[in-house]
Amino acid sequence: MIYYFSICFAIIFIVFVILLVRNNKLDEKYSILWLIFSILVIILALCTKVLDKISSFLGIFYAPALLFLFGFIFVIFYIIHLSTVVTKQNKSIIRLTQEIAILKNIINKNDNDNDNDNVNNNYKDTEVK
Amino acid sequence: MKKMDKKVLIIIPAYNEEECIYDVVSNISKVASFADILVVNDGSSDNTYNELLRLEVNFLNLPINLGIGGAVQAGYIYAYNNNYDFAFQLDGDGQHNPKYIKEMLDILIKKGADMVIGSRFVEKTSYNQTFLRSIGNKFISFIIKLLSGKKIYDTTSGFRGVNKEIIKIFASKYPYDYPEPDTNMQIVLKGKNIKEIPVEMNKRNTGKSFVSPIKSIEYMLKVSLALFIAKIRKEN
Repeated sequence: MIYYFSICFAIIFIVFVILLVRNNKLDEKYSILWLIFSILVIILALCTKVLDKISSFLGIFYAPALLFLFGFIFVIFYIIHLSTVVTKQNKSIIRLTQEIAILKNIINKNDNDNDNDNVNNNYKDTEVK
Repeated sequence: MKKMDKKVLIIIPAYNEEECIYDVVSNISKVASFADILVVNDGSSDNTYNELLRLEVNFLNLPINLGIGGAVQAGYIYAYNNNYDFAFQLDGDGQHNPKYIKEMLDILIKKGADMVIGSRFVEKTSYNQTFLRSIGNKFISFIIKLLSGKKIYDTTSGFRGVNKEIIKIFASKYPYDYPEPDTNMQIVLKGKNIKEIPVEMNKRNTGKSFVSPIKSIEYMLKVSLALFIAKIRKEN
């Protein structure tokens, strides 16, 4: 029974991930790992013999527990991966903030120096939709 | 003093310093008239920005609060872009007396130091500190000595001057969380020369540095961790 549940859950999960990607809520590169993971869960749940063998090899009496173990390990690695993504974004934000401050400083100086409107026009170009 | 042929920038990070930034900056510009001043307003939520306008000082206005590391680095990037020969950093709360800048600059120019630190502990100064804080500073100092082989007495001082080479290094990479001990050690590990001079610290004009015992210990542990990581970090 637990295997059927795992398979159902994995399928729902795959559909959910694909919908997120379709609606631009999730980047493809982050979806790939989730999809691979779901497919792995399905394969393992279908090939119960393989699962049983690995479990007995590892000394796990209750084979589905192995499924959870895999899931758990995967989730931990994925969280670490996300932490690295956050770190990278944080660095980018800091650098962008600094650059913005420096650019504004230059713009203000230009404004004070020659009091013409060119600079203001340039400013408008950067507007985002 | 004869006319300077070197460009010197004084970087003053300021976060919510509306009460004292005016006095601090006008004092610095009086004492160190040979240098350019750049205040970095680190996303202050108070009136600091208007005070800076009133001062008519050159400043960077960070739209988001980045913390001390990001703010000071913005200053170093500015120094690098504008080709400054030397850069100093002083806190915006008036703790650091600008009268020492000239002496520190002399050490950078004449004694060939790459970085000079205004230190509270090289000699006995009247800076009174809590017991825990003193232990903390000694401990961090010890860790740096252990990892780099160089004794730096005041590793957490935010009163520093650097030459052009270090400006370039800081502009490209500067830690965000505990910048002073971390960068001090990195500079030593790069084989650069750090000198310390004793300085008297002023009492803070405003604000209180709160040091609860738990905070001190937390700080010590975090800095130590940051230092160990800095030691094993790959250059990129």
